[in-house]
Amino acid sequence: MIYYTKNSIVTTDANALMVAEQWVVDEVLKVIPNAQVSATDLHKSGDHFHVRIISSDYEGVRPLQRQRPILSHFKSFISQNIVHALDLKCMTPEQASASGETIFDPHDGEVEFFGIHIRREKKE
Amino acid sequence: MSFNWTPDELQKIVDDNKIVLFMKGTPEQPQCGFSNRAASVLNQLKEPFVSVNILTDRRAIPSVCAWSDFPTMPQIFINGELIGGSDIALEMHESGELQQMISNNNSE
Repeated sequence: MIYYTKNSIVTTDANALMVAEQWVVDEVLKVIPNAQVSATDLHKSGDHFHVRIISSDYEGVRPLQRQRPILSHFKSFISQNIVHALDLKCMTPEQASASGETIFDPHDGEVEFFGIHIRREKKE
Repeated sequence: MSFNWTPDELQKIVDDNKIVLFMKGTPEQPQCGFSNRAASVLNQLKEPFVSVNILTDRRAIPSVCAWSDFPTMPQIFINGELIGGSDIALEMHESGELQQMISNNNSE
């Protein structure tokens, strides 16, 4: 598994926190330590991540219930807009070996609306 | 009568409609790639769905997320139950589970 090895948290002059792929991986591992985790920063913008999580714990668990613990862990990062999008792929080892490329980039494509990126307003 | 994004109002939307998509923008003009993906998945099901544009009111995102206890948009509800976001929708569409959920409910 290839991980990005940038510094875990980078401060930008835009006065926002940018987080790196390895930080996302580490945070996911806090929730599900036995998993194989990889994260992809979709736009190198430090806030849209595709995350593949492979664990035998997911056997017999429905998709939303697989995501719930991870989402609740990331809830504060999402509400502070540190992480803008988390695209999660939670798979059992069998599902992982049957699945190919799972990265979906919402801003990569021919559809013109893909280019629009609306950030949640911070006030209130 | 005004709409105030209260839990009761939100619950009524998902109770009254078999498939509901809370999204950024509309299926015709999605304002986010993930919302676009969710709408595309639902468009492929042979079943009408209701979409709610949560960019029309700044109270919408915090209200919907608190009510559903799900932190991101889009959110898909089928038969009053939260299914998840666009990643889960796509996964369940590819595995045929989504179509099955809708067909099962139709035959009841």
